[in-house]
Amino acid sequence: MTERGTSHAISVTVNGERVSRVVSARQLLVHFLRDTLGLTGTHIGCDTGNCGACTVVVDGKLVKSCMLLAPQADGGTVETVESLAADGQLSDLQRAFNEHHALQCGYCTPGMLMSATYLLRQNPDPSADDVRRAIRGNVCRCTGYVNIVEAIRSAGSAGKATLATGSAEEV
Amino acid sequence: MLLEQVEYVRPTSLEEALAVLTEVDGAAPLAGGQSLVNVLKNRVASVDLLVDISRLSELRSITRSPDGGLDVGACVTYDELDRSPEVREVHFTLGDVAAHIEDQQIRNKGTIGGNCCLSDPTNNLPPILAALDAVMSLRSASASRRVPAAEFFKGYFATALEPGELLVSVTVPPMPARSGAGYASLHVAADAKAMARAAAWVQLDAGEQTIAATRVVLARMASVPVRDAGVEARLAGAEAGEAAVRDACAVAAEGLRPIDDVHGSSDYRREMAKVMARRAVMQAIDQARGGGDGAERTRRGGRG
Repeated sequence: MTERGTSHAISVTVNGERVSRVVSARQLLVHFLRDTLGLTGTHIGCDTGNCGACTVVVDGKLVKSCMLLAPQADGGTVETVESLAADGQLSDLQRAFNEHHALQCGYCTPGMLMSATYLLRQNPDPSADDVRRAIRGNVCRCTGYVNIVEAIRSAGSAGKATLATGSAEEV
Repeated sequence: MLLEQVEYVRPTSLEEALAVLTEVDGAAPLAGGQSLVNVLKNRVASVDLLVDISRLSELRSITRSPDGGLDVGACVTYDELDRSPEVREVHFTLGDVAAHIEDQQIRNKGTIGGNCCLSDPTNNLPPILAALDAVMSLRSASASRRVPAAEFFKGYFATALEPGELLVSVTVPPMPARSGAGYASLHVAADAKAMARAAAWVQLDAGEQTIAATRVVLARMASVPVRDAGVEARLAGAEAGEAAVRDACAVAAEGLRPIDDVHGSSDYRREMAKVMARRAVMQAIDQARGGGDGAERTRRGGRG
């Protein structure tokens, strides 16, 4: 059993790097990421688990980081939006967001990207319905969903194949 | 900080968890946290010690019981119910209900035990578990007992759990021959809470033409899911078809007084209970005949 208390020493692998910190039991994971580690790519929209702006992947599972306490992530792995661009190069998904104008104010984008990343890991060639279902927990207050769905689909394997062959076919 | 000061502990065995929950006043189990963390943020309930049970292997498995039913650990998530081949094979509808709870993020954390123990009248799992005649296994540091789902839910945010007791698993009996389940909800908007909801289990007679046995459960008509004895009595022996089912469900929610609010009047909700009951029973009949999962039992599209 972990020691009972209001603060806990935790070790978490965040975007491939192992970090150890003492956290308050009441600290939300999103505050740990943003305030303690300075990873401000993960946004806070609502604080109530409704908007999905704080979406990250913990132990391989997509979660809202405002709905978890930091000590709950102890011993695990966390992937944030900062993990997507390798060596300063945007991922295919991020490039697709750019190409399809899938962000307006950009506030929901980190959460959208993480939900889309999770979807594409499980389903490399999602239908438009698959995508809409996958981003149900992510609210875009600019209501730019059409371009977001198109961007995510184009980053799927069918979309990439279309790009590779130069086909103008609707994806 | 959004939360008040709180202690946290993560036991490594069920015994440790039960001991802490018994010994510490103000201790509460933390499973998926998808409701509890918001409750703590809003400071509408005060907890002194959060006992994180979410990783306990004793609470994390789905197993086929010897009789062919399912034993589902309290900390199995909605997503795990959705994706479990065992759940889909034995109780397709239970998996399907779990698959449509909120969103992917919440389905990855929210648990069957949390959904039941919160006893929020808008929660999805209590009515289907009552319709499937599930049994809740409760443990404390010194004793264990089993409570039928129909008796577990006591009122708004109230259950049969005593202080120091933990829901450890939910046992769902096997689906008998020629039987099936159904579930229907009315939502005014995609993200709104259900205004009326019904879950049904139906068994057909040997010729599959008439209804031999049913359980019809209504939700949102009272503080807890309720069996509708009037509908069940009319369905018994009735022809397993749209006309007879419509006729039987015309008495749904009789004598019940659902809430009357800005989202819908009490009368409207009661009227919709008839529609939800009919849809749930018709789905159950279809499944009993091998449709709606029965024959194919394949996963439906739209996985995310």
